[in-house]
Parts: sequence; C-alpha cells; structure tokens
Amino acid sequence: MPKLAPLTKLILTAAVSVWALFIPTLSGLVALACGQILLLLLYRPTGKQVKAVGVLLIFAGFLAVIQCVFGSSLEFSLMSGLKMFAMSEVFVFLLATTRLQDLTAALVSQCRIPYEYAFMFTSALRFVPDFLEESKAVREAQACRGYVFRGNPLKRLMDYVAIVEPLVLRAISRSETMAMSLELRGFGRRGQRQFTSDVAIRGCDYAAMALMLVLTIFLAVVRLGVY
Amino acid sequence: MPDILLDMKKVMFAYNSGGQALAGVDFAVEAGAFAAIVGRNGSGKTTLTRMAMSLIKPASGTISFGGQDTAKLTPADMARSIGYVFQNPDRQIFRDTVAKEVAYGPEQLAFTPEEINQSVAWALRVTGLTELAGSFPRLLSRGQKQKVAIASAIAMRPKMLILDEPTSGQDPWDAQNLMELLTELNQQGITILLVTHDMELIAKYVDRVTVLDSGNKVFDGKPSELFNGNHTINAWGLLPPTTVALGRQLAGITADNAEELIKQVTTVINRRKEDHA
Repeated sequence: MPKLAPLTKLILTAAVSVWALFIPTLSGLVALACGQILLLLLYRPTGKQVKAVGVLLIFAGFLAVIQCVFGSSLEFSLMSGLKMFAMSEVFVFLLATTRLQDLTAALVSQCRIPYEYAFMFTSALRFVPDFLEESKAVREAQACRGYVFRGNPLKRLMDYVAIVEPLVLRAISRSETMAMSLELRGFGRRGQRQFTSDVAIRGCDYAAMALMLVLTIFLAVVRLGVY
Repeated sequence: MPDILLDMKKVMFAYNSGGQALAGVDFAVEAGAFAAIVGRNGSGKTTLTRMAMSLIKPASGTISFGGQDTAKLTPADMARSIGYVFQNPDRQIFRDTVAKEVAYGPEQLAFTPEEINQSVAWALRVTGLTELAGSFPRLLSRGQKQKVAIASAIAMRPKMLILDEPTSGQDPWDAQNLMELLTELNQQGITILLVTHDMELIAKYVDRVTVLDSGNKVFDGKPSELFNGNHTINAWGLLPPTTVALGRQLAGITADNAEELIKQVTTVINRRKEDHA
C-alpha cells in the first residue's frame, strides 16, 4: 500500500464527508462505507482500531433504528446511519495511519495553520487515550473504596462526582505541567520552526488528490442532476 | 500454624497485547504478616495485587480470601476485606475535607452513622490526621495525602492493606513516617502487603518478601535470606540495600538493615578502642 502524505489523508477526510453528503443512493453509500473499511484493512489496523470501527457501526445502526422508529422510511434511515458512519470512520482511518507529529507538521507547513492551533488540535487528540486511561484508573481507585455504579439515574449522577472531580482536577494539573514543560522547551517563541517529519507530497499523493477531485466533481454533477 | 488470609493458587494472567504477566504463581499471605512483593518493572507485582482486589480476574487459577473464593466478587465487595492504597492519592481524593474524604468508603459500605463517625475518628487518629480533619485534602503535602488515602482505606475496617509503591515520590522523612504508621497498623492486627522497589524498606520493616521475575515467583522468604548472598538478586533486577552491601565488605559484620549495621559497627569499634586502651 503506498504511503500517502498526511495532507492527502486530511483532504481525503474532508472529501469523504462531502461524498457522504452528495451520494444520493443507499447502494452508493454502502459502497463508500465498504471502500473505507477496505482501505483501512489495507493499512493493517490494530485490534483497537477494528474495535473502534465496530463501535461506529453499532452507533450507525442505532441512529438508523431511531430514525426508523420516529417515522422515517427504512431507506432514509439506513442512509442517515451510513452517512454518519462514513464521516466518522474516515477520522479513524486518518488517526490510525498518521502519526500526530506528522499531522501537526502537515497542518503547519502545508495548510499554513498557525502552529499553536495545529498543536492544540493534535494534542487534544493525543489526550483522548490518556484521558480514558486516567478515567479507568480513577474508577478502579474508587471501586476499591466501595464505589458501585447503581441505583436510580439521579443517584448515579450524584455518585459520578467521585469519578469526575478527581478526573477533571488531574486533567487540569496535567495540562498545567504539560504547558510548563512546553514553554520550557521553546513552545512560545516566535519565528519559523523546523519539523523533522517527512510530509512531502509524492506522485501517489498527486494521483490520489486528482482521483478525489474527479470523484467530487462527478458526485456534485450527479447531485445537481438529481435535484 | 498461622491462618492464611490471602491464598492465590496457580494464577495466570496475560494482557491483550500478548504479554504474559503471571505464569501460574502460587502466593499466600498469612494473617498478621507484614509482607512485600518486589521485582523489576513488568515482573507482575501490581498485576498480582490487582488480582487480589478483583480489579482483574485470573485467566486460570483460584484466589480466596479468608477461605472464601473471590471469583465472583467485585472490587467493591473486596473493599470490606482489603484496603487498596494506590501509588497516586490524587486519583481518589474528591471531597472538600479530610474527614469527609475518609468517610466515603464507610458510607459506600453502608456502615451506620455511628459506625462511620467511629471509623473516621479512629482512622484519623491512627494516621495522625485528626488535626487536619477539616482541611481541604488537595492542598496537603504528598505525604499527608498518602496518609489520607491510608486513612480512607482503614476506615472501612479491612483485615488487610495493600499498598502499591506507597513511598514513591516522598521525601525520606515522609517515607519513614509512613512505614512507621504501617508498622503500627500491623501491630494493631492489620495484615500489610507492600509493592515496592525500595530494598532499604524491605530490610528494615518487612518480615516476608516475595520476588517476582517475568511473571514467575523466584523467591519467597525472609528479607535476611534474600540478602544473605546466596541468591542471584541482581539477575532479578534487585540491588541489595546499601547497609547489606557495606556489611559484606566489613569482616565480621552480618547486618541486614541500617540499625543492625550501626549496632554491630559500634560494637566492633568500641571493642577495638578497649583493646587499644
């Protein structure tokens, strides 16, 4: 499988969202979803990434069921679920196949986004697994003190303070430490930065971008033709 | 023969990533013991204690506490029997006063209001936190927070206390205070199980030590036996306490902790002074 540049994958992420909105038929959306799964499989995903796609499929199914229950036609409901799946699965693909430092480098050097914003975006993504891990640790610590998630919803909500409060305070403390550590390593300085990540665009990237452009134009024309 | 409190037989555990954390380990802690588990990072120490607390279940093998099988018990069920003190107390502190924080466990275990008040007062007294009962726990020092965590655990009146690297990140004074507190709790009848890397503490306070290496139990006995020079402790990622290393260099000294070393060296020096005089 050719190694695509982060910029190409970013464009693909935007393009898939547009395609999901443009494709007017159920079969087309099924093809888009299957194509995305196939693309991810070509990059040999880890068990966690496969699990993430599985969870997205469950959510898509849930969305379709809700739509159906509230009076939409079966076809429309399935299309809504598939659109949601396609738009979110592409992010799994982006994050599963791109290192965050490469993504930051691409956003700054190729998309011309200010470094602070690009860093904020990628570090927010980086914090998700950390936050989940911390949440697990806090839940375990409170479980060892007799915490059980049961009772009526109001009681559960009140009990959840035992998890949320230490989690939020720890997150604030960690972000403060990280901010300090970054400042001490020159984060706030002005001027140009040097990235060691190789984010150069190659022939296969140009080919992929051209393909995406053609497909987008085609779908736009089809969409305009439908209405 | 002393009663076995925690009894783990042939417990195995492997993480999803494929690494085997425990390879059929037999491990038991007697009632009233002051025991420790040591070993290099990744040797399975924390996995073993998490299993004892039912935070994770063994792939095979059995665990019983006080003769009762723990297979179907949750960590909240185990909290009545075992108090677990994590390395980082910040992960559990959430209430606005020390006393309320300590009362959380007894409240969850449905103690009566009178029992809660008694347990909290006792736990605060034992840990020396009575004067800080109304303080905001997050503003306390690391050592004091660790004591709040211990008070929170013992307020549930467990028979056993497991502490995961309780002295890490503490200054020597706080660490010594903490170990003296644990000794006092042990003398009051609470069984103590430490997970630690600190060999000085093992030599000074603990009466039984288990060494894990790559998920296997490679030693189980007294600290003095571990440090007597007959075992390849370096291969297990351990270093002898400084006192033991120094004692080995001095002829006639067989100390396995700092106090014993000082005593023996003083005796030798005094004897020589007398001979010289």
